[in-house]
Amino acid sequence: MGTRKEIRIDIAKCTGCRHCETACSLKHSDEGMVNPKLSRIRVFTDFEREIAHPIISGPYTDAKCTSRYNIIMDGKEYESCLLCRASCPTRPFFTEPDTDIPLKCDLCGEPPDPHCVKVCVHGALTLVEVEEDQAASA
Amino acid sequence: MNGWVGKILRVDLGEKRHGIEDLDEDLARAYLGGRGLATKYLYDEIDPEVDAFDPDNKLIVATGCLTGTGAIAACRTVFVAKSPLGTVGCANVGASFGCDLKYAGYDMIILEGKADEPLYLLIENDSIRFIPAQDLWGLDCYATDDLLRKKIGDPWKAKEYSIACIGPAGEKRSNLGAIVVDKHNTAARGGLGSVMGSKNLKALMVKGTKGIRVADRDGFITAVAEVLNHVKQSHGSMETFPQYGSSGILHIYNEVGMLATRNYQTGVFEHAGEISGEAMAQKHLRKIRACFSCPQSCGGIMKATDEKFMVTAERPEFETVWVFGADCGNSNTSAILKAHDLCNQYGMDVISVGNTIAMCMEMFEKGYLTEKEIGFPLKFGDPEAMVKLVELTGKREGFGDEVANGGYHLSHKYNHPELFVGVKKLEAPAYDPRVCQAQGLNQATGPRGACHNKGYTMGSEIFGLPSLGGKTDPYATAGKALLTKNIQDATCVFDNTGTCLFMILGLWAPELHKQLVPATGIDFTFEEMMKCGERTWTIERMFNIKAGLTAKDDNLSPRMLEEPMPEGPAKGHVNELPKMLPEYYQLRGWDSTGKPDDQKLNELGMEW
Repeated sequence: MGTRKEIRIDIAKCTGCRHCETACSLKHSDEGMVNPKLSRIRVFTDFEREIAHPIISGPYTDAKCTSRYNIIMDGKEYESCLLCRASCPTRPFFTEPDTDIPLKCDLCGEPPDPHCVKVCVHGALTLVEVEEDQAASA
Repeated sequence: MNGWVGKILRVDLGEKRHGIEDLDEDLARAYLGGRGLATKYLYDEIDPEVDAFDPDNKLIVATGCLTGTGAIAACRTVFVAKSPLGTVGCANVGASFGCDLKYAGYDMIILEGKADEPLYLLIENDSIRFIPAQDLWGLDCYATDDLLRKKIGDPWKAKEYSIACIGPAGEKRSNLGAIVVDKHNTAARGGLGSVMGSKNLKALMVKGTKGIRVADRDGFITAVAEVLNHVKQSHGSMETFPQYGSSGILHIYNEVGMLATRNYQTGVFEHAGEISGEAMAQKHLRKIRACFSCPQSCGGIMKATDEKFMVTAERPEFETVWVFGADCGNSNTSAILKAHDLCNQYGMDVISVGNTIAMCMEMFEKGYLTEKEIGFPLKFGDPEAMVKLVELTGKREGFGDEVANGGYHLSHKYNHPELFVGVKKLEAPAYDPRVCQAQGLNQATGPRGACHNKGYTMGSEIFGLPSLGGKTDPYATAGKALLTKNIQDATCVFDNTGTCLFMILGLWAPELHKQLVPATGIDFTFEEMMKCGERTWTIERMFNIKAGLTAKDDNLSPRMLEEPMPEGPAKGHVNELPKMLPEYYQLRGWDSTGKPDDQKLNELGMEW
């Protein structure tokens, strides 16, 4: 069984500095543009509820969910959208603002070398090696 | 252009018109951006003698050439205008307002004239809208921020905006009026919120989707990584500030006897241990928060524990804890949080509010102010009276209306100007210059008055940072003129690039230079970059000279110069400003009246 690398998010350690957003967008821009709106990682913050939550972009969907739900964590209720990583028309994330082209995390290439992890000094983002799940990869 | 986005948004509030201009590349190169560039534009465009609240005054919102690029802690936005205190007003702020302004396509906004009725400006890339703000006028900063986001509708989309607004203090032209960004970050000093209020401008709301181009992508990524590694070596940046906020340094200043206490009557506070960064973190801290692209994360969420002062507030900065703690003789940390939160809510400068209240406490205890005049007893160490007066000051009600004029005016009105501790009418910060001699020189010569953030000489005099040339004896005056000048010039480079000065424990000018070159693609030498800093200090000086200030304004309060420190490690010391000032003038190229001379101006390529 092989291993693969993935990003682990520890939300308790996220300070909401959004350095991951600038690093990601610049790494993916051949023109040298820094633009958090084009980042494949966005940090959702709601400091009144003590939340800073990095979200890494995933699959694309062309419509909003027909079944939304709420999650109660630590006694507080959150919309499911908060934790969703889809590129979706209901949120201004993970699509190019002008073209609506979806943006998806590619771990900065092969082998994985994610730039968001490199600038995350407080360890909210780490690159970890995990056992390949055979059932999932089959 | 790279690093800069190359455009200026010029707004005529009276005519509700705007234009977009190219940023002058030569000026951008000469000043780098931010504080220096904005001051140069202000100097060229207004009469420095203008009254701060005259529609002819201009309010300039500027970003640095590194702001928003992802350079370390490069998130600052600076507001520049003629200050109601009579000097060049200049206050900078964190969060991400300036970053978003650059993503919208502008390095600077020049706000001119005065709107006929309250409005706010909505900036979305090329779309500039003047929107009536009758419904916002009178609201505090929190309610203003909430309502502006509610107008966007979708909460996800509303989060894409940055908001800089004023509260009742700015509307009512308080000399303490600040500009508050995203509720918790404040461009505080010098009353610029009131300049904004005088223009009937309630808020600036910005969203940008364009991005900023850097010249050498791979070079810049490498430079940022190297600087980040450098910062990681700093215990102060990686441990003290995130865990305890900037007040992680409070106990150090108490130990050396320079934590100004009870309106600077002494430099040691017997309850320092109760208000220290460590104590406050243990008692109140819920979450650590950082400004945009900052590894140091000195912000956070704190919750009060005393029923009388229940509030969930932004983690207060060192100055806030000092001013509502030691300076007011108060050890109730919940009251500190409450007073701090009220300042953000009403849009006020915490240092000026707290310093003025502390002065009133001394005047009350000495019988120069009566209970009848204030409305209630105002003794040092009374948290309820302190918090009450902060709120009255925000509303300009009762005696708060007097406090809102600031310490200088209040001390004169009640015939005790000797009790005002400040410079050029601006209330002084926590650092008692009877210990750090260079800090006295820095505060005395500061362009906006008594300000530690224009020259943090304690980096050498207390911390002995190798980046600043190592440790100097705080009580020594020899060599302090040069030390002060060098630190002031480097600080200008921080402010011009848009980097937060609080990074001083983790990085210094060489690290800024390392990022500046690949970001802009301009091959600045280190010396050229530092000249941009010196030019900034000089243009501010030229503005102040034209505004009518003279050498005699480069002074400290009598308490600092004539009253020896009564106790503690610094017992017996005063600040020996006269020993340092002539040499400082000489190094600055200023004549005996404080005017930059022709030789210095030639050297810097400047003219009157």
